[in-house]
Amino acid sequence: MARAVRSGTRVDTVLLVACCAAALLATVLPVNLREAIASGLRRTVVAPLVSLQQQAERGRSAFLSREETTSRLDSVSLRNMQLARLEAENDRLRALLGLGRQLQWGFVSAEALRSFAIGEDHQRTLTVGSNAGVEAKTPVVAPEGLVGMVLSVDPTQSIAILWTHRDFAASAMSADRSAYGIVYPHLSESRTGEGIPPERYLLELRGVAFRSALKPGTAIVTSGLGGVYPAGIPIGIVLGELQTSEGWARTYLIRPAVRPPDVSNVIVLLPKRVEGQSLEPIWRSTLSADSAARRIAAAGDSMARRVTADSLRAVEAAAAKRAADSVARTGGAPRGAVEAPAPGAASARPTPGGTDTTRRAAPRPDTTRPRAPQPQPQRPQGTSP
Amino acid sequence: MSWARTARAIVAFTVLVLLHYTLRPLLGWRTPVDFLVIAVLLSAVRVRPGAAALIGFCTGLIADSLTPSAFGAGALAMTGVGAAASWLKAVFFADNVVLHGFFFFVGKWAFDIVYVTAERRMQGVELATQLLLWSPLSAALTAVAGVVLLLMLRPVLEPQAA
Repeated sequence: MARAVRSGTRVDTVLLVACCAAALLATVLPVNLREAIASGLRRTVVAPLVSLQQQAERGRSAFLSREETTSRLDSVSLRNMQLARLEAENDRLRALLGLGRQLQWGFVSAEALRSFAIGEDHQRTLTVGSNAGVEAKTPVVAPEGLVGMVLSVDPTQSIAILWTHRDFAASAMSADRSAYGIVYPHLSESRTGEGIPPERYLLELRGVAFRSALKPGTAIVTSGLGGVYPAGIPIGIVLGELQTSEGWARTYLIRPAVRPPDVSNVIVLLPKRVEGQSLEPIWRSTLSADSAARRIAAAGDSMARRVTADSLRAVEAAAAKRAADSVARTGGAPRGAVEAPAPGAASARPTPGGTDTTRRAAPRPDTTRPRAPQPQPQRPQGTSP
Repeated sequence: MSWARTARAIVAFTVLVLLHYTLRPLLGWRTPVDFLVIAVLLSAVRVRPGAAALIGFCTGLIADSLTPSAFGAGALAMTGVGAAASWLKAVFFADNVVLHGFFFFVGKWAFDIVYVTAERRMQGVELATQLLLWSPLSAALTAVAGVVLLLMLRPVLEPQAA
């Protein structure tokens, strides 16, 4: 027994001494030999452990960098949100450029600044005023259609009401000219409780003759009657007929072409452009307002702009030729009279409906009053919108 | 020691080695818990000193393979710690948590002293800081972790009284 214990102790001692000697030997081995042994161990026995350690370290790195990653992701998301807004703004500005290209003359573009004061939800401050030729009661448009009307003018800025304003009114007609009426904001759903009901952002087309039934989806444009708004500006699309107590006329609910939140950059049509000028060729009233807006936006594209410029040059050349012919026939008026900057462009783009008979010496507001019989070609008179 | 107990001890040893290469880098503390020392100490008290020295040597060699600049230092330190723990195992069979904690603390600190000395990389203040500040802190953490693990693994590692 004692011998066995002594033998065991001797073995333990031998093993301990051997291990210590081997470890000490390992510490004094040449570097390349130590590296070779260590590498052999790493590639065989320790390989799974090395893999585990690497994965754990990667997990720790990922854990530590999560906040940085999250903040970076937030930044990217924020920029992405801004990018969407910038894209939308770019689209709108491009559409505005296209509209300006189509209008050619007689307008000024402006920023429509929203006033956050109470009770001023339905008006905008425009960054142009009388110095730019803006006057009261001039129409404000956007690529989608009619925005509103200038209410008051200062030298450098002006106040415009949107179509949502309760004082807004515009003489309107269906795109195929089969029905006429007056467009007003839909005020029947007044403020009830909190916020503005969504119906408040619709329009009504009142005073449509009973025989003129309009189908949902019919495009409504300005008629040019009243002298404030030139004909052919899209107002909206018929949603349906409203049931009213009036038995002699129909009232329709209109989905507006322009959404008030989108009103940021607008075009103010100057009085000379409004007088007797039909804008139907610009907003093809036979098409929907949406497709017209798309076409106008496309006109803002450089390629489309080039094509449009080519076609305009061709039309202007044809107009000049016609003018020269008429001068030759009459033998009187100088060529410069035809080439006056604004009328030249207007004459180059004849309106599909023929000559505009609504031209008057002074603008006359729209009306809802019953029409008095008047001799042709005079149209119904109106009151201030 | 029966085969069942041997198998359980091997499983516990393997788990601790795995913890050393997974949990330790995951925590990434300045004073890390040394699960290899815990594994060697828990194995050493169950085998003869010669076997404990061999286990320590192999474990140290595995650890050294990842630090070739200090190759052999870990093997030497583990061999010494394992053999010493096996010779002193009678002390630690006592079912006393504080004694077990002290056992782990002393084992880890001794390992660090031998390792740093054999490595011959640190000198002067750095050596003193390592041996008198960081090593005791690491040893204390290792002791705490060792006690917790011992309590968790007691059903597996409990020595048979009979």
